[in-house]
Amino acid sequence: MPTPASTAPTPGLGGAARSRPPAPGRRARRRRAGGHLLAYALVAPAALFYAFFVLRPIVASAQYSFYDWNGVTTATWAGFDNYVAVLSEPKLVGAILNAFELILYFSIVPVGIALFAANLIRSIAASRLAAAARTVLFIPQVIPLVAAGIIWSWQLSSDGLVNQVLRAAGLDAVTRAWLGDFDTALPAVGVIGAWVQTGLCLVLILAGMTRIDASLYEAARIDGAGPVREFFSITLPGVRQEIAVCVTVTVISALASFDIIYVATQGGPGDSTLVPGLQIFYLAFFEREIGTASAFSIVLMALVIAVVLPLQRLLRGSES
Amino acid sequence: MSRIRKTRRRALAVSGVAFSAAVALAACAPPGSDGADDASTRLTGDPTCGEDAVVLDAYFETGFPLPGALAEEFTRQYPNVTFDIREDQFAVITQNAPRTLQDSPPDLMRLPQMSELASDGLLLDLDPYAEAFGWDAWPASQLEQMRVDEDGSRGDGPLYAMGLGYSMTGVFYNKELAAQIGMTEPPATLAELDGYLAAARDAGITPVSQFNGGATGGLAFPLQALMASYGDTAAVNDWIYQKPGADIDTPENLAAAEHLAGWIDEGYFADDVNSIDYAQMMSRFIDGESLFMFNGDWESGNLDAQMPGGAGFFLMPPIEAGGAIGAMSAPATYGIAATAEHAECAAFFLNWAATDEEARTIEVETGGSHPMGPADGVMPEVAEGSVTAATLAAGAAISEADGAMDFIANATGAIYAQSWTPNLQKLVAGEQTPAGLLESVQADYESQVGD
Amino acid sequence: MIVSRREKIIGRVILVVLMLVTVLPFASIFVTALHEPGSYPRGIEWPEAPHWENFALAFQSADMFRLLGSSVLIELGVVPAAVLLATLAGFGLGHLRPPGARALFVVFILGLTLPFEGIITPLYFQIRDLGILNTRWAIILPLIGLFMPFAVIWMRANFATIPKELSEAARVDGATTWHLFWRIHIPLSVPAISSLAILLFLWTWNQFLLAIVLVADPAQRTMAGALGAFQGRYGTDIPLLCAGSLLILTPTLIVFLVFQRKFVSALLQGSLKG
Repeated sequence: MPTPASTAPTPGLGGAARSRPPAPGRRARRRRAGGHLLAYALVAPAALFYAFFVLRPIVASAQYSFYDWNGVTTATWAGFDNYVAVLSEPKLVGAILNAFELILYFSIVPVGIALFAANLIRSIAASRLAAAARTVLFIPQVIPLVAAGIIWSWQLSSDGLVNQVLRAAGLDAVTRAWLGDFDTALPAVGVIGAWVQTGLCLVLILAGMTRIDASLYEAARIDGAGPVREFFSITLPGVRQEIAVCVTVTVISALASFDIIYVATQGGPGDSTLVPGLQIFYLAFFEREIGTASAFSIVLMALVIAVVLPLQRLLRGSES
Repeated sequence: MSRIRKTRRRALAVSGVAFSAAVALAACAPPGSDGADDASTRLTGDPTCGEDAVVLDAYFETGFPLPGALAEEFTRQYPNVTFDIREDQFAVITQNAPRTLQDSPPDLMRLPQMSELASDGLLLDLDPYAEAFGWDAWPASQLEQMRVDEDGSRGDGPLYAMGLGYSMTGVFYNKELAAQIGMTEPPATLAELDGYLAAARDAGITPVSQFNGGATGGLAFPLQALMASYGDTAAVNDWIYQKPGADIDTPENLAAAEHLAGWIDEGYFADDVNSIDYAQMMSRFIDGESLFMFNGDWESGNLDAQMPGGAGFFLMPPIEAGGAIGAMSAPATYGIAATAEHAECAAFFLNWAATDEEARTIEVETGGSHPMGPADGVMPEVAEGSVTAATLAAGAAISEADGAMDFIANATGAIYAQSWTPNLQKLVAGEQTPAGLLESVQADYESQVGD
Repeated sequence: MIVSRREKIIGRVILVVLMLVTVLPFASIFVTALHEPGSYPRGIEWPEAPHWENFALAFQSADMFRLLGSSVLIELGVVPAAVLLATLAGFGLGHLRPPGARALFVVFILGLTLPFEGIITPLYFQIRDLGILNTRWAIILPLIGLFMPFAVIWMRANFATIPKELSEAARVDGATTWHLFWRIHIPLSVPAISSLAILLFLWTWNQFLLAIVLVADPAQRTMAGALGAFQGRYGTDIPLLCAGSLLILTPTLIVFLVFQRKFVSALLQGSLKG
């Protein structure tokens, strides 16, 4: 996985502001002071690694973004030119829009499928078949995304499995090189992403559903509630937290996608599957426009935060 | 309540400290102020590989056996020299070139477009070696494409690369399929070629399976060939060499692009051109699944081996019979990183490849291309009727007509992957017009050359 | 629970369909890997003469032993160090809670959603200036830093949930902080630590961007980076590429199947703590 955040269920932000223990006495306070020092010493190594390999590059990115630099010769001040380029050049703006379209395939589709399927599977969640499925459906999560990209590039090619299945179903007319067609390349990349993410979402949501108190359903059935009402009034609220995790993780993986597209389409055909991550890579290491690449990096980081923060609020509500 | 506020204020303060510490960690001077040293070559005596064991660090292109075969032969002749070869596809080499040359400098590297690499000082100036080895006595046109001046404009200035043979492109055809549609000899005019394309399509034969997928827009081959039919090769070269004021968006080139768009509309290309890669194109052509293939003589040896007597070659025909011909012809460029450890030995290898009899034979037989070197250099015997014979003859015709052009993909480092390829793919999909294609490429060109 | 027979059947059918969709692509590349090198097989189609030697060929071409060795070295460099640093910091922030702990926590959270592409450009120059470009350190050191936000927050959450009463009782008994940490908190944190180790192992093994940007030699990369290099080199030979991809995937799959319960529960725990 490209980023820990892309698959990691985000641990909650809650639970931080707990009340402190009652005011300690004098001796205790001295011990406290020593304890504080110790605490800082314990945090320091982690904080230093983090500062040097994450915060420092972020700051450097911000710095580079105001320069015109090819990585070799001396840089010249460029003001906001790089940001203007990122937000006005059709190609770069297009990359951002593509990333947002990918949210549909990487996030909404898998979460939707997972919810639908989990609801139907719920009743047999304890069966042996379900246990086997949990393992099998998790495989796409553990293989490198590059492998998923390579495997699916082949399935989606003119002679691949997808077209073979379509032909067998008599749908010869729709067969095509899915990754080589302007209209279908981005959705086809989306299929790869959906394949990777659905298993994770399904297993998470299913686990959530099995924790819902069974008596709630019995009560609802006695009240004469249909499956639909049951789903919306009991199931959905019951797995809200799991949905929040799935949506957050998959949305980040869409906005920050790189691996799959790097191997499957390289951004093509045309610029139809170009995404910010790939464009940053091209700008920085191929076109050697470090300034523009850095400005794009800053914009990407800002975008991710701008999307994820409201999502957290929306989905988690004010649970503590 | 107040405690919460206090905590928050302290939180802000600490995050402020952490942040400013990080700022302090990052240098505040503009980046890149310590430029790489300018390694100038000083030669004492004749360059050699010496007697000690040398391992040349080489970076070659996958799928092309020539450099590897030459390296093997070289080691046979000079046992103290061995090669550590890393291989990638050309598109990957293109992406990696600046980084590799700067930070893990190879002794010998297959180069993509090189003007920026040269003007940024990443490549070794080979002029001292050219002088020492007497390369300046060769036909000047051989080395012209590899000279780059300090503005990155090519054709003039110091020599930054050498060819392992020079290649030429045109049209390969499958003789069996050609006979089926009544094509008994290569077309003499563009109209005749149009006729054969139509005849093949009508006969249910895929006329052309050209690679145009991924990062490699192979429709640039027919496009540039058409440019030579419609216009003057010198103007195209000026553009490629970044001569001031050069423009790709000319009426002649527009006519060429429109002709190509016409072929697309007529269905002369396979439906899935936008996803065909180079190897797939080769496989389809060799398996007899397509009649024509726009490609270069580096495949001649391969085609002679895989479909003996089954393939032919012709240059893109002119508009009128006997009109001016042109072809994309360029050395397969290999350079030496400015800070390479074994530059002298690498230069010796390049000289050997152009002058050693065994090496020249390998270049023709394995590479299918014409060796570099003196005009009267030894040429191996080639079987009559083979594709290799056809491409060598076409090469002679092109040099007589002075119709050689460099590749339009070589105008700038990024023009191929970032401009020609996406625009040609859009042209196939009907999302770009011929005029829009040229306009868009020209705009990208100007922004890249302007830097 | 009231469950109708029909519901159960529908549930089973859906599970089977989902499993098929997951597994078929693997079956497809397996069959493709048995075709003649350099050919373009059509869909799933058993070859007339299976070329089992493709796997041997790919094994050699990819230099599998060196790749495995390299990935293992990188794992050894990253996972123990990252888990240790995160455990210490998590204890500091989650249990000891010195003044400013909350703020430090916020600083770590900032890094939680960070896309690696956002810092890859300056990181390249930083690694170059450190003189460790093209070595395994170029992957190991930044990865430790990049894993810190998740790992520290994970461990902090773990220590924060350990009942206060336990620690207080130990304090009353005169336990030092060290004792408290080593004798009480660590034993209780074993599940969290092992889950974290599994997650970090997986993310390191599959790390692609850092590998392709910072290390040129595939034999010094992670498995995912090596796979990228394999595709860059043999990507045009489909059967060989499929054989190589399967080989490169095999160690991951074995580790996953052996530890599958742990893997799944590691990710589930993440959501529980949310």
